[in-house]
Amino acid sequence: MTQACPFAQTLERTARGDADRSAAEFPLMPVGQACDMGRAADGTPLIDPRVFDSAEFFRNPYPYYRIMRDHYPVFRDKLHNCYYVTRYDDITRCYFDDEGFNTIPKGSSSGVLGNTQLELSGIEHKRRRNLYGQHLVGQSLEARIPIIERLADSMISAWDDLAAEGTIVCDQGGVRTVEIGRAFANEFPISVVCGVLGFPEEARGQFYYWYNSMMSGLGGSETQKMGLEARQDLEDYVQGMVEERRVRPTYLYDRDGKAVGKDVISKLCETKIDGDYLSTEEITSNIALVVGGGGETTRGAIMNMWYLLLQHGDQSGRVLADERLWDMVFHETLRHSTPIGGQPRHNSFDIVMHGQRVPAGSLMNMVDVSANHDERIFKDPERFDVFRPDLYTGKLLRSGFASQGRHSHMAFGVGPHLCPGAWIAHQEATIGSRVLSRRMKNPRIRVDRMPKDVDGISLAPVGLGSVRELWLDYDLA
Amino acid sequence: MTLPRADGLTLQNPAPAADTLDTSLWVGPPTLGRNGVAVAPRAVTKGAGYRSYEVHQRMRVQQSTEKLNPLRLVSPEFARDPYPTFEILRENYPCYRDWIGNSYWISRYDDVTSVFVDDANFETRPKLWFYGDDAFGRDLRSELPVLFSQAAQMDRHAIPVAHALIDGFASDGHADLAIAFAARYPLELLARVLDIPAQDFDLFVQHYWTMQRGWDWDPEAERDGRQAMRDFANYFRPLLEARRREPGEDMISAIATLDLPDGPATAEDVVATLLEGDHETLHGGLANLWFLLLTHPDQLDRVVKERRLVRFAWLETLRHSAPVLTARRFARHEVERFGFLLPEGALVVSAAGAANRDPRIFAEPHRFIVERKDLCPREPRGQYRADGLPAGIAFGLGKPSRFPALPEDRPRSLYALTRDTAVAASNVLLDRLTHLRLSAGAAPTIRSLRLGDMHSCWSLPVTFGAV
Repeated sequence: MTQACPFAQTLERTARGDADRSAAEFPLMPVGQACDMGRAADGTPLIDPRVFDSAEFFRNPYPYYRIMRDHYPVFRDKLHNCYYVTRYDDITRCYFDDEGFNTIPKGSSSGVLGNTQLELSGIEHKRRRNLYGQHLVGQSLEARIPIIERLADSMISAWDDLAAEGTIVCDQGGVRTVEIGRAFANEFPISVVCGVLGFPEEARGQFYYWYNSMMSGLGGSETQKMGLEARQDLEDYVQGMVEERRVRPTYLYDRDGKAVGKDVISKLCETKIDGDYLSTEEITSNIALVVGGGGETTRGAIMNMWYLLLQHGDQSGRVLADERLWDMVFHETLRHSTPIGGQPRHNSFDIVMHGQRVPAGSLMNMVDVSANHDERIFKDPERFDVFRPDLYTGKLLRSGFASQGRHSHMAFGVGPHLCPGAWIAHQEATIGSRVLSRRMKNPRIRVDRMPKDVDGISLAPVGLGSVRELWLDYDLA
Repeated sequence: MTLPRADGLTLQNPAPAADTLDTSLWVGPPTLGRNGVAVAPRAVTKGAGYRSYEVHQRMRVQQSTEKLNPLRLVSPEFARDPYPTFEILRENYPCYRDWIGNSYWISRYDDVTSVFVDDANFETRPKLWFYGDDAFGRDLRSELPVLFSQAAQMDRHAIPVAHALIDGFASDGHADLAIAFAARYPLELLARVLDIPAQDFDLFVQHYWTMQRGWDWDPEAERDGRQAMRDFANYFRPLLEARRREPGEDMISAIATLDLPDGPATAEDVVATLLEGDHETLHGGLANLWFLLLTHPDQLDRVVKERRLVRFAWLETLRHSAPVLTARRFARHEVERFGFLLPEGALVVSAAGAANRDPRIFAEPHRFIVERKDLCPREPRGQYRADGLPAGIAFGLGKPSRFPALPEDRPRSLYALTRDTAVAASNVLLDRLTHLRLSAGAAPTIRSLRLGDMHSCWSLPVTFGAV
């Protein structure tokens, strides 16, 4: 007699279903639609946490974040052992609560970037932040604007030589095709950083390599070693430089050869905290942070600005006719597609948020890109609209900005850890774009050279991060 | 210093003795850890976000992790065969910081066992916590009457259940041992231990299975698991009342008649108790034992000739192919271990599967050798080093017993019970079936069906003669 196993079916179904699911990638969906991950008994869509590692999520994250905002404002991800906070108001509250949501070093960046103010809290953070921050705003920044402009101009002038090579810049029939990334955006921000820090011209190539290695090492993957080594090399290099400038400070000069002030490293060398000079190690770590923060993010902003704007012909027409509007393009781009997804925090206490219990010490990811698409704040958030009436486009404030129906975007965070480079990044991106728009006549996207979406026709969405390559055509005459 | 125990008894010998502990920093009375060790009350965490720069410096000393992409730890290939990945971990990263899973992987034998026994620094969180519903019910597994009833009923039914199962397929000459025997045996046995009416068995199995699958990361399984728990509680409610009126010797009767400080046991407590216990080691252990014996015919021959070796085959199986490969522990507070400053709440994944094949401990660790000379023949609790020999680690997922090691007033440990039961069932199998061998063309494997699930043999077709 064969006795049927009462759960053989369960077993088989489980085996079959799971085999299918682990083999199947998450399907690539039309942008704006989430794939089906099952539903709760009451019809609420479920989120399969494996989606966060998928290609689909990377290119099309917003519908998933919308499910989380609507149904799981604090989403518990047991596969990645973390929580996601996705609504604008919640994130703002958490960012301001420096004590309840701390920044002590548990993030993957700590190895590569070193000890930076990203991971300090309270008074220690405040003291150091102001030290570095002051060099990136106000008068110190104003003094650098001509340098930034000159740099952009000279990079674009170099395109004529590049056109002879015909790889990233090529001319044909009065039309010049240029890959904005390699020809401009990749190196422009990092050159500005080099200038601000006062690195010698001849070291910039090396510097650029270190920077790239550090960026690719941030994720804590197999490239992390490369990042750590680059970090060490940079540190050795900067250490020598710091020790030299402690004795012989260097100065920045304006167009007329007049000294406008000391460079940041020289200034830091003579800065004291509590009567003590900053250690070389400390200066180095924070320079590494400036390198990381000031390079990749600004590159992404410039790329995304041009990519998104040129896909909206009506808006690009107005912007190209009036270069004051680039500030609005900058803010709307950072709202619509920020290169940085969010910031980690760890809750210092056992808390309950939106009914979700979170034990002390848990990793809580503040999803800035989701806050920027929170329909509670921004109407029709998936739409790119430079002239959006509900977005504040003035200078970013630490306290954030929310009044008269306008909110600031969350790309730089708010509160004590508001990106200290926000203002210089803004200047770099808008000055760079203005110079580009002056020099390029009738710019448009060279569609056939751009990566396509899954349908093979429309341009790929930005998704998380930023566009890697951007091919533009413009008229030479 | 004496400390009250949850069961109302008094613990006479807390270790270390409380007067040798530095209690000056404690903020309240000590609590009792799960294995009877006094645990410092949580220090005030106010201002925990504030770090001195010096503490912070230590985090700078970091290893690189270029030999292992953390995505590999959540890949389907890892679910199929984790041992190559375990080897990379164990031989390169004694403590691997997994940025994607936000955890620390411990993989060497001495490290893994040190985490398991360190109840003062690392805590186990119950499955109900993973369900996000700690208040659902009480886990009554450690109540003495429950333990006694469980041990007595398991002893009583271990052999009859095995016979009954084999009756079902003995005359066929072939069977799938993984499904018809290994998967079924623990649930049949559990149903007898609980004295579930025969007509409810299918329902019982369905609910139990669904509930046990639901606590981890899979949202659909979690949804079904929650529902199963509610249905299960509704099923147990009348049963529990009936047993309270007319108690028998089964485990539900033992639960029903408990005298608990916060009121008599509810149906939800029964479900919580069943959830926190599990059948996985018996199910996966039996399946893997027979997989290994059948794929190592020389070892099987020896076991057939010399039955005392069944017990050693079981222990070696739990070392070589433990069904539960990793156990999660959480740092109770910031603690510096393995070259890392583990923050409060840090998830430490103790990879028992990696530790069990640590060449520092076991010679030729990848080989299945029934009469292994370097394996402790006692309960595989990991921390055991009887006669200086290490044991395989297989019971990592259960929390440590809060009872002293060798008491007179408690039944055999669950580890010993499981071992004796598995050995008894396997002996019945050997008694009843002769010339046991794999079916022609069968190529069985061991794998997890789903990421993080039990690592076991799911299909093991065999042919045999019957006595």
